[in-house]
Amino acid sequence: MVNPIHIVSIALGVAFALGFLGKRDKLSLGLVLSTLAGMVAISAGWFIHFLNSSVEPLQIFTGGFKPPFAINLQMGLAEATFTLLINVAGFLGAIYLTKELLKTGKNMMLIFLVFILGLNVMVMTRDLFNLFVFSEIQSIALAGLIILDPNRKSIPSGFKYVIATGLISSFLLLGTVFAYYFSGTLNIDFISQASLQYVKGGAVAVFMVILAVILELKPFPANGWALDVYESAHPGIGALVSGIAGTTSLFVLYKLIPVAPFISDILITLGLVSFVASNLLGLSQTNPNRLLGYSSIGQLGLLSATIGMQQLLGDKFIFIALTILISHFFAKAGLFWLSGIINRDDIKDWAMLRKKPILLVLFGVFIFSLIGFPPLPSFFGKWSLIMELSAGNQYMLVTSILIGSFIEGIYLFRWLGYAIKLDFSDLPEFKLNISKFLPTLTWGILLIATGVVASAEMEGLSGLSYWPLIFIAFIYLIDELPIYIKNTLSIAGLAFYSWLTLPELYYTDMLRFIFMGIFLIGGILTLIAGYAYKGKRRGFYPVALIMYAGLAYIIQASTTLEFFFGWELMTAGSYFLIIRGKKSINHALSYMLFSIGGAYAILAGFGITFAETQSMLIASLSQLSNMVPLVFILLAIGFMTKTASLGLHIWLPGAHAEAESDVSPMVSAILLKAGVFGLLLLMIAMGNNPQIATIAYYLGWLGALTALVGNMAAAFQEDAKRLLAYSSIAQLGYILFALAMMSHLGWLTAMYYSINHFLYKAILFLTIGAVVLKVGTHSMYKMGGLIKNMPLAFIAVLIGIIALSGVPPLSGFGGKWLFYNAVIDKHWYFQGIIVFFSGIVAFLYLYKLIYSIFLGQLKDNLRHVTDISLWFAIPIYILIIGIMIISAKPEWLLQPLGKMISQWYPNGALAWNGGLATSTYGYWNGNGVMITIGIMFTTILIWLIVLSRKAQKVKQFNIVYAAEAPQRPETTHQSYNMYAGYNKALGWIVAPKITEFWNMMSDWILSLAHFTRLIYNGNGQRYLIYILGYFVIIYFLVF
Amino acid sequence: MTQYLSVEFIAMLTGFLLMVIGVWGIISQKNLLKIVIGFSLFDTGLNIVIVSLSYVKNSTAPILDKAVEVSDAASKIADPVPQALVLTSIVIGLGVTALMLAYVMRMFREKKSLEINSYNELKW
Repeated sequence: MVNPIHIVSIALGVAFALGFLGKRDKLSLGLVLSTLAGMVAISAGWFIHFLNSSVEPLQIFTGGFKPPFAINLQMGLAEATFTLLINVAGFLGAIYLTKELLKTGKNMMLIFLVFILGLNVMVMTRDLFNLFVFSEIQSIALAGLIILDPNRKSIPSGFKYVIATGLISSFLLLGTVFAYYFSGTLNIDFISQASLQYVKGGAVAVFMVILAVILELKPFPANGWALDVYESAHPGIGALVSGIAGTTSLFVLYKLIPVAPFISDILITLGLVSFVASNLLGLSQTNPNRLLGYSSIGQLGLLSATIGMQQLLGDKFIFIALTILISHFFAKAGLFWLSGIINRDDIKDWAMLRKKPILLVLFGVFIFSLIGFPPLPSFFGKWSLIMELSAGNQYMLVTSILIGSFIEGIYLFRWLGYAIKLDFSDLPEFKLNISKFLPTLTWGILLIATGVVASAEMEGLSGLSYWPLIFIAFIYLIDELPIYIKNTLSIAGLAFYSWLTLPELYYTDMLRFIFMGIFLIGGILTLIAGYAYKGKRRGFYPVALIMYAGLAYIIQASTTLEFFFGWELMTAGSYFLIIRGKKSINHALSYMLFSIGGAYAILAGFGITFAETQSMLIASLSQLSNMVPLVFILLAIGFMTKTASLGLHIWLPGAHAEAESDVSPMVSAILLKAGVFGLLLLMIAMGNNPQIATIAYYLGWLGALTALVGNMAAAFQEDAKRLLAYSSIAQLGYILFALAMMSHLGWLTAMYYSINHFLYKAILFLTIGAVVLKVGTHSMYKMGGLIKNMPLAFIAVLIGIIALSGVPPLSGFGGKWLFYNAVIDKHWYFQGIIVFFSGIVAFLYLYKLIYSIFLGQLKDNLRHVTDISLWFAIPIYILIIGIMIISAKPEWLLQPLGKMISQWYPNGALAWNGGLATSTYGYWNGNGVMITIGIMFTTILIWLIVLSRKAQKVKQFNIVYAAEAPQRPETTHQSYNMYAGYNKALGWIVAPKITEFWNMMSDWILSLAHFTRLIYNGNGQRYLIYILGYFVIIYFLVF
Repeated sequence: MTQYLSVEFIAMLTGFLLMVIGVWGIISQKNLLKIVIGFSLFDTGLNIVIVSLSYVKNSTAPILDKAVEVSDAASKIADPVPQALVLTSIVIGLGVTALMLAYVMRMFREKKSLEINSYNELKW
């Protein structure tokens, strides 16, 4: 094994040797790169060495003396890990900067080498003064690197950097010599043994040391100098500053904590303040590099807080700190590198990434890693962090971490949205330089790889199979193949998974069987419609499958971690599906924000549960005895962001309406059921608790109001898909209402509605989507009279609306019957009346749907429209068969459902006698109703045909209004502003008050961000005053 | 009272005074060169403080020769470590000052101004 001191010696040797190479820049660069590779090899060797055996760290004594008489370096697993990270990043960072380094010549290469060297020693040294020397070397070198690309911006920012770090390192030096004065040694271990915090003066000395290190981590607000560096330096340098220099400072902080243990508590506060504030200020940024700077500082804040939490986190500390750190390390460097590749000053220009789609994928990976989505390492880190903090009852910390992460999510996903959606045709072409691309790609791959490694370390994740994800990766790799291949493979994948899981679930767990069936069979049916599309449909299949994989994981999860893993995966997949729509950029963002907010509520709920029960099993929710209402509310809010209950619904109409034709049913008929499933799990686990009954009562009201507002809003829509979207909100309101009844009949209604809603909403969205594809507009008043052109679509919509409206003979009637029984049983009359009334409102929009699209006058431009695509018709008619079956034979579905629900609510079940269901209040025979209605209608039809034998067939324009023939009959379409009268009378109920409320919230946050960032006025002196002030204030806080 | 008149106390006081003057210069002067001078003063003060720490009354230079026996060196010589440190610190201070001056030159070349307020382009 090569002695680690040679990391220093070869770097120094080569740095000196470069002086003798004259103008041979290429040779010099080769030498520098091979030196860096050698450094990588040395630390990698030690890393592997320490990984395989738990041997004592190696101590290296310079000059042959032992400390305190000489400087010593240490190489253990921690040092090996960090030097490896530094050197690999240094090596790839140098490759990335090849062009720039060759242009500026060998002096810059020399500085680069010294910079990396300084960081290495900072990690390894155990000597305080040596630490000071090498941190000075490192910061002087960095000051040189800042003007790698000298311009009007980078030069002044370099100056600000030099004076700020000069001041900070003077604190370090002063603290060091006084620590020496009081302890008689410079060795970190000896100083910590001396316990200087108890010595008057000694405590101040170590305080100065530790505060200098904290200031190196750029805490808010003493960080204006760092932000300017991030903004103005070459992004290749920004990557190094943010990635490796920050990482090194964190390690130094970790190493020095024993010297000044009293700092831990305040460090947590300082770190979290920095985390929340930097992310808040990030909201107002438009320059990508400065934005990354803010995000960087935020992450460093979170990480330094984590270091302060070392005692709180116990055994998990290393895992948590490392996973979050590594995510930051790879993601931030990767983002800076991407920024250097496209080289634009505005985040809106990042749409340019789409010219090289692989870059967009990397961008997505980095962003998702920063937010902490599975399967990336920070997901596991944040999960463990929240669990451990909750276990220690640190709810304030949990709250601020989640708030900070949420704010970070706002600007990162806004940015991602820009990259995915904004127009890029005006942006210049760019060449993807291999030396710039390779490091970025490597980072992306390493990020995913560490995520997989981290997941292997997690407890409570063993139940999930990674095969679906591997399959999705494969589908991504064949993205260039035509649609029909990918579609067939995807359907085959879902079918295989159904075959694997459904038969078993049928016998073991009816609840999961039903939801798994909705997700997977629904997935297959909606994918069939995809054959109607032409070309390649890039990126569609991987994301759709990610959503389905997430949904399947939710069903299969037995632990809260597995559930949350699936939940986040589903959110990620559905986000990408939603944002595919033409005008979906803002809707996708609001969907994502509500989802993240909801997910964090769920996370907090799971955390509290874990704190009390010390178990990650979902079943452990039922063992909770303290804070049950809080956990219930948190989880319910989380799930209701998916069911889009009133107040949390504003993302839905836009997201569903603007989505592609076959995506709308996926995210409506299928995705929303994930929230229902979550609510069911929650109520099954906690329903027995008496405190829940009150909350459920309010949930019932919420459900009823959601139903009313949703249906009324639907009635006033002019856009067919928006109408259906609002209708979904209302339908999910019914389901929430029924669930909240927490009775046998209530749940039977909820389950029955869930299945029904899946069937008819899939039919309606698929049909309307297919119609939209043919006619090219969502606006109903631009359609009309399509009945003859599109008989297939007409029949499908007709059946869909009959089922939805709840008139006999189709399945909706059964739902209504169950519903009224349940309401009477529960005595929820007021709410019941509201729901009943909203059911009547539903007729208005359902009538509007069929009337304005298929009846009335045909528009001229639609005269030659043909019927919907066969590929849409196939799943639609399969679903119609499903509706017919459960309408004719409701007992096939309701009996097993009843049996299942009796596990939880044995009282009040329906009594079955063949097809006849009897409740306390009445009886119903689905088959009988169907036959009766069938006979009635057939009789009337035959009667009408007989009567109208002599009737005259009229052409389209053979109409007369009030004895007057209209000039342009095709304009007599009544569906524009169809319910104007109702709108005038009752429109206030659906005035967008809730949207206004959320808009106000976001305006308020944005102006706060804008106002706060004015503290960075650009003046270097002001930044020094902040540093001094920070120092003084913290001093008084500590002592 | 005598302890306040001792050499090491006066030296340390001078050192801290210089540091305060230096910091005052750095944060109050608008001229870039004056800021660098402030920094230099600050640095010098810091070095004086370090040296003053190693002073032991009535002791000799930390060189082991005939005058000082190894056995009682600890009580007779001044602490050599801060003296060694201060050398390094002076060198680093020199480096940093040179770097600052180099930056000031580059800044002046760009904008022909030594006013720190004319370099506020990057903000917020």
